[in-house]
Amino acid sequence: MMSRRQGLLLVAPLLLVLAGFFLVPVLMLLPTSFGVYEPGAGLVKGAWSLKNYTQIVTDDYYREVIWRTLGLGFSVTLICLLLGYPLAYLIARGPERWRVPLILLVIFPMLLNLVVRSFGWIALLANRGLINNLLMQLGLIAAPVKLLFNFVGLFIGLTHIYLPFMVLMLVAAIRNVPRDVESAAATLGSSRAHVFMAVTLPLSAPGILAGSILVFVLTISALVTPRMLGGPTYQVMATLIYDEYMQLLDWPSGSALSFALTFMAVAIIWLSSRLTRRWAGMA
Amino acid sequence: MSDMSENRPGWGLTATAFTVVAFLQLPVIVVVLAAFSTTSYLTIPPQGLTLAWFGKVLSDPSYLSAIRMSLILACGSTLISLVLGVAAACALFRKVLPGSEAVTSFLMAPLVMPAVVVGVALLQFYSMTGLRGSLVGLLLAHVVITVPYVVRSALASLSGLDLAVEEAARVLGASGFEAFRLVTLPLIAPGLVAGGLFSFITSLDNVPVTIFLISASQTTLPVLIFSSVEMGIDPSVAAVSTLLILATGIVLLIAERRFGFHRFV
Repeated sequence: MMSRRQGLLLVAPLLLVLAGFFLVPVLMLLPTSFGVYEPGAGLVKGAWSLKNYTQIVTDDYYREVIWRTLGLGFSVTLICLLLGYPLAYLIARGPERWRVPLILLVIFPMLLNLVVRSFGWIALLANRGLINNLLMQLGLIAAPVKLLFNFVGLFIGLTHIYLPFMVLMLVAAIRNVPRDVESAAATLGSSRAHVFMAVTLPLSAPGILAGSILVFVLTISALVTPRMLGGPTYQVMATLIYDEYMQLLDWPSGSALSFALTFMAVAIIWLSSRLTRRWAGMA
Repeated sequence: MSDMSENRPGWGLTATAFTVVAFLQLPVIVVVLAAFSTTSYLTIPPQGLTLAWFGKVLSDPSYLSAIRMSLILACGSTLISLVLGVAAACALFRKVLPGSEAVTSFLMAPLVMPAVVVGVALLQFYSMTGLRGSLVGLLLAHVVITVPYVVRSALASLSGLDLAVEEAARVLGASGFEAFRLVTLPLIAPGLVAGGLFSFITSLDNVPVTIFLISASQTTLPVLIFSSVEMGIDPSVAAVSTLLILATGIVLLIAERRFGFHRFV
């Protein structure tokens, strides 16, 4: 048997690393977020202000970036759900011999380096990219359509990046729906579509919620893809934080924005876990 | 009844699903094509084949040193994460400590936190402590972001384990560590390989934490690709990306053959 002292000795090294290199650094951002930044002079000593937080809700530019981030979060989650469900359904309920190859084709892009995948989308969406070239060769458009550095580019790129997560969550959820219940409904005369709408879809709802939360949180936190496909002009919250730290050197306002982003992510996760618990209580 | 269990999916569903799978592979195919094409932008059909971009990458010292740095970081942080994570999971799984569940949630917290926030927090912390640009600082930052995967897979593997076999080894005279090494470890090994692989890939993939912490002289491969794309596209980026695609594909196939990797995702 393991004693309490032995247990502590086993956990302590990891706890110390996480306390020292995760918890403390994040907590140390908190005083910075109330600091005052003077362009050219840096952090003003001894000055405190709430301005970094109030400007997030009052400043037009910040508000635009936040709405854009949330809008991307919602639309990417929705499209991942719509595209992911048929694929997940085929993996979970389709022919046995298709299952492993299909899952591997879903995992492969997920394991692939994020910068590589984003780079692929640049090659596809740029003004001289594959899609514009193809459309112009076919004579469908006369001049290149702008697909990068705007909502369309980020929407396509982020959907591609986070779709595999959604599919894997949905596969697990659909496989958890008891086959018997579906068969029973079919035996009782339900059409295939009705079985799906009345049985499979509602019973996979917990997986739909879990997948949606995951994709939403990942999308609003994403830095690499929005930066590569949106450039320095089309900003989301994560790229704005990056610029405030690396370009503008305005750490106070960057750290306030960091807490705002963290708050949004944590609030969504907390809300969904409450929802799931209520569902579990009803079942 | 029989046609329900026959699983013959409708053609509409099959077509949609296969289109989505094709969409997922699309950028991968495009990158590989771009790497072999003679023009600096892509055309259909590609105009001319060349291996020149690969030669350029493999003779470019900045790419080579970035690849070396990425491998050092990924191997080092995965090794540290495995040791620290498996040790912690062994204790947490037996619930010998009060508040084991709270501790487990804390170990998973770096997954919930947006990576860019972890990045800026460590940037400030390292600037104050002088760790910015140091290898130790980078390694520990990568441990923070990779260790949740190891802890999660170790806990999942341990929960499928019958503790009686370890007890039996103890009764037969094995020390606690011997029982772990000879009995428990081999049983949870496939799960740990999967967790280690995730950890390795997460480290190799990371930009949002790494980019705040590297020194000007020593960068990693994804950060180098990320910043060279900001400067403007060059087909050597496609070539180095193709090498990464090849490596990922081979690793995935080997992991699937040997351990049935898809079960651990």
